[in-house]
Parts: sequence; C-alpha cells; structure tokens
Amino acid sequence: MYCVQCGVRLEEGVARCPLCNRQVILSETPISNKPQSYSDRFPQECRHARLTFLGFLTTLMAVAGFVSFIVCLKTQGHAAWSGYVMLGLALAWIIFVLPGFFKKSNPLVFIALDTLAVGGYLLYINASLGHHWFLSFAFPVTLLVGGLLLVAVCLYRNIKGGRLYITGGLLIALGNLLMLIEFFQHLTFQTSMFVWSLYAVSALSLMGLFFIIAAMIPPLKSYMERKYFM
Amino acid sequence: MTKASQAKWFRLDNAALIFPAVMKQGWSNVFRLSCELDAPLDPEILRQAVNDLYDRFPTFYVRLKGGFFWHYLEQMRSSPVIQEDYAYPLTPMGIKAIRQGCFRVLYYQNRLAVEFFHSVTDGSGGLVYLKNLVARYLHLKESLTIPHTHGILSLDEKPSKKELEDCFPLCSGNYPYSRKEATSYRLSGTHEFPRFHHLISGTVSTEKLKKLAKDHGVSITAFLAAVMLQALIQKQAEEQPFHKHKPVKITIPVNLRRLFHKTTLRNFSLTLNLGVDPRFGDHSLKELCFQMQHQLLLEVVPQKMAARIATNVGAQKNPLLRSVPRIIKTAAMRYVYGRIGERKGTINLSNLGQVEVPDEMLPYIEKIEFVISPQYSYPNNCSVISFNGQTGIHFIRNVKESDLERRFFASLVSLNLPVFIQSNERN
Repeated sequence: MYCVQCGVRLEEGVARCPLCNRQVILSETPISNKPQSYSDRFPQECRHARLTFLGFLTTLMAVAGFVSFIVCLKTQGHAAWSGYVMLGLALAWIIFVLPGFFKKSNPLVFIALDTLAVGGYLLYINASLGHHWFLSFAFPVTLLVGGLLLVAVCLYRNIKGGRLYITGGLLIALGNLLMLIEFFQHLTFQTSMFVWSLYAVSALSLMGLFFIIAAMIPPLKSYMERKYFM
Repeated sequence: MTKASQAKWFRLDNAALIFPAVMKQGWSNVFRLSCELDAPLDPEILRQAVNDLYDRFPTFYVRLKGGFFWHYLEQMRSSPVIQEDYAYPLTPMGIKAIRQGCFRVLYYQNRLAVEFFHSVTDGSGGLVYLKNLVARYLHLKESLTIPHTHGILSLDEKPSKKELEDCFPLCSGNYPYSRKEATSYRLSGTHEFPRFHHLISGTVSTEKLKKLAKDHGVSITAFLAAVMLQALIQKQAEEQPFHKHKPVKITIPVNLRRLFHKTTLRNFSLTLNLGVDPRFGDHSLKELCFQMQHQLLLEVVPQKMAARIATNVGAQKNPLLRSVPRIIKTAAMRYVYGRIGERKGTINLSNLGQVEVPDEMLPYIEKIEFVISPQYSYPNNCSVISFNGQTGIHFIRNVKESDLERRFFASLVSLNLPVFIQSNERN
C-alpha cells in the first residue's frame, strides 16, 4: 500500500499517510486491521502535582490571613490592620496563584481581573484611611496602566512580526502615560507639574524611536538580533 | 533484589553535567533503544534478566542525586521495575522518576525497550546494555549460549575500570576550541497536548542507501544530513522572507570511542553543528553532500575533538565555577543552554551506525530501533540505526505538523530509494 502523494510504502490498514495526512484510497486491508504498535497506557498528567502545589499555596495564604485577623481581633478588638493583610493576600492570590489553575486561558482576562483587583484594594485603603485620592489619582492611574498592559499583550499575541515597531510604540506610550500620572498627582496632591516625568518621557521616547528606526534599517536590526538575541 | 550494602556513587561525566541542570517537569534529555523479538516477551524472565545485569553495569543502575556543588549518581538499591510500554515513546521521565532511577525497561508484545536519561550513558553505551539485556533474556528463555563477542560482556567478570571511567578529562587537549558560532534557523509548530510524541519511522534497505550515498561520493551520515539540510532549506524558504533567513545547521553527535580508542560505557560523544548558509545562494543535493562530507572530515579529527573537549572540561575545572553552589550553577547552565547552546543547531541527526550481534542471537531479533527525545527548545529530532540489512530513520516530534518528515522521505523516494513508513498514529 503506497501513498500516492509521497510515494512511500505504508503499513497495511492505515487510513491516512502519516507524512502528508492524505487519505489512503483503495486500501485492500480493512482499516481496523492495522496492528497497534503501542499500548493504550498514557502517563499520569503532571497537572496533579501543579494543582497540589497551587492548593498548598492557597491554603497557606488563607491560614496567614485568618491568623492575622484573629491576632488583630484579640489586640485591637476589631479588624483594623488585618483588613490590609487579608485583602493584600487576596490580591496576591488573584495575581500570582489564580492564573496557575487555568493553564490554557487568555492572559487578557487575567490582566483585566488584576486591574479590577488592584483598583478594589486601593479603594479599600482610601476608604479605611478616610482620604480622597482614589477617584482623582488611584482609579485613573490603575485604569491607564491596566489598559496599556492589555494593549501590549494584545499586540504581542495577535500581530506576528513588527515586534520592534510595537516595542517602540509602547515605550513612547509609556512615557506619555507617566506624564499623565504626574498630571493626576498634581491634581490630587497639588505637587508641581512635570518635574520627574519629563526625564522619563524623554528617555523612553528616545528608546522607542531607536527601536522604530532599528526596525526600519534591516542591517541594524539583524545586528541587534545577533548581539542581544532580540 | 536488595543491594543496600553495595551502594556506591559516581561523579557525572563531563557531558552528563548539563542534563540534570536543564531538565524540567515534562522534559528531560532521554533516548530509547528498543528491540523487537520473534515472540511475545515474558515479563518474569525479563525482570530476571534486568536483575542479572545489576552487578555488571553499575553505572547504569543509578539514580540522580543533588549535592551541594554538583549532581551525582548513586547506585540504586534495587533493579528498576519493568513496566508495560506507554502509548508513545519517550514519555516524559520526570524529575521525581529520575531521582528514583535513571533508566526504565518497558515491554509491549514482542518489543523490549530501554529508555535512558542521558546523564548515564550515550547511544553507544546504551546499545551495549540493550544487547546484553537481550542476550541474557534469550539465555534465560531459550537456554542459548551466546559468545562474548560484538559487545556481549561476560556477566561473571567484574566491570573493568576502563568501562566506568569518565574519558573526557583523559582526552582533553591543551588548547580550547572557540564556542563562537552563528545561531541557526529554528523549527517550530503547533504543540501537541498533553506532550504526545509523534514517531515516524522510515525503513530503507541499508545496501541501497549505502549505494546511493556512494553514488554521491559520501558516507551514509553525510548523505542523510545533506537530504535533511535540503528539506530544512526548502522549509525555511517557504516560511520566512529572505532577510530573515539564517544558517541551517544539523547537530551530529560523534562517537569518540573509536577516535580515542576507549571502551567506556559512560557518555563519550560530542556534538558538531554542521550546515550551510542559504543566504549565500542555492545548493544542489550534490553540493550539500560535499559540504557535509568535507565538514565532517575537517572536524572529526582527534586534535580538534580534544580541543572541543578542553573547552568543556576547562569550564568544569575552573576553581571559581566549582565553588559556586549547585543551585546557582543550575540556573546559569539552564540559561546558557536555552539561550545559546540550543540555538546553534536546527535538528539533531544521531546515527548509531550498524548494529552487530552474535549469529546465535540473529534468528530471534527482528528489529532494533533508536529514538532520541525532542530537544529542550526545538520540536523535532531524528535518529538512525542499521540492523540486519535495514536502516531505520526515526523522526520524533512534539508538534502536529509533519512537514519536515514529508519533505525528507519524499526526497529519498525521488532518488529511487524505496521507503517503508510506520508511525504511532492511530486511525
């Protein structure tokens, strides 16, 4: 029995050529007669070990949170500082542990979730301290950083090639974002405008421009690839 | 069979040092040698045969242990448990499994397979073990008296010092060879889940293959490497625009035993990255054959090999590096291996050559196969072995696409070499 496309002789009874996946036509031997060359035994998935580890981490964090709550209750009479600890642990769990349970999931979902979680944590701190910096500073900054991260991951995942252009563009965007952060800082805390962000935006814009220029000049690009594995 | 009182330990040989450092959950550098007999295997007799080889092959019956500065091998307290073969070859030998035993014996119907963690031995050493295991099995089952020729060792003799020695420091040259070389084209594909390995074996007549190679004026290894290069060059040309093209190089392990007249059963081979740069222009198959043959002839000489060994041994002997704790060394070695070491070659082509066994064993053995695992960071690998007039070319991959195999075997067919294809695909 031969594959009409590759010209190789095939085992009797195979349905398709393993090289080109072309269906074997006019096979004289019934397909079910192909001798099975390997057993049905599959190795145990390593997922169990991973899930056990993640479960252990979750328990450890839950115990740490609970202990801090009890200690705080005993010493202060109410959940004073333990709220920060418990919510901090919950935030760490959402950012570092939760993605481990979903091996093949979309990172964009987790970035959005992390942004919300960080926002929620900051809102709690703001409310419990009785300050008023959340709406004018923490909320927009968290949203902007989360948004930039989302855009970066989305671009890297979905656009093949043009990595240098994307990196360059993102660096420039990050510079502008830092300026905005300083603007919100000025609005909320009445600090001077554009003191530190100008240095950052100049450096990041220069770096971004360099990446874009490198992408436009193939010899420079290939030198960078060779030299720095970029 | 408990051997608690005899437990020994061995230093890892120079080539073996890298493998524990780079192993990860789901991947370790393992290879498989298997033998198909004329009748279904008897697991009880096989178990006895595995036990009987314990004293003769002390460096094989070991498990990996972690010391403060280096990993080392400790002799197992009992022989490994023999198991039924898995649904695919070279299923991941996890870190936990390697800490219990560095090789495993598998059986399925007529096939007996041994899968070795590479820190224990290389293909040639593994082949000696497989031949002796089959010889012992046949002796127990068929009461055969097999002469001690063609690599069959006497079980009454103690292992010689030469069989157990690390030959790398002994054969190291005085001047190191530069490791600097260009990075090569990388293969990629859609990864299989969960870690299924596709195996496609092409069987060709050794006589016809030898004649074809001779017609091109080269050895079998150089010829197969040239056909592989041609397939890879075509693949790169179709996948990427010209300005992204890279050199295409094949990693060929060289057995140093013949070159340095050694008989060690531990690792004693070095790899060479040989190939061409397609950016310089098109190469015909004839030109690729000459390139490979001449590069092999230029590189496989004792002086250059000794210099390459000197480079590796030098790093191992460096007092500063030696004093660094293993955990830091492991992290550094893993980084260098993944980012630099594996980027110098596109695919492995490991040819174990012609396997000879005593005439008494021949009627009972139908086939011998040799398979190497996919690499740390690239998905395809190829191994070759010849036995009893047939050459098996085994392609393993952990991705869905079989494009490389198709190009390679179609090239052989177009050169009038009939190929019989078998695979572990299911209908």
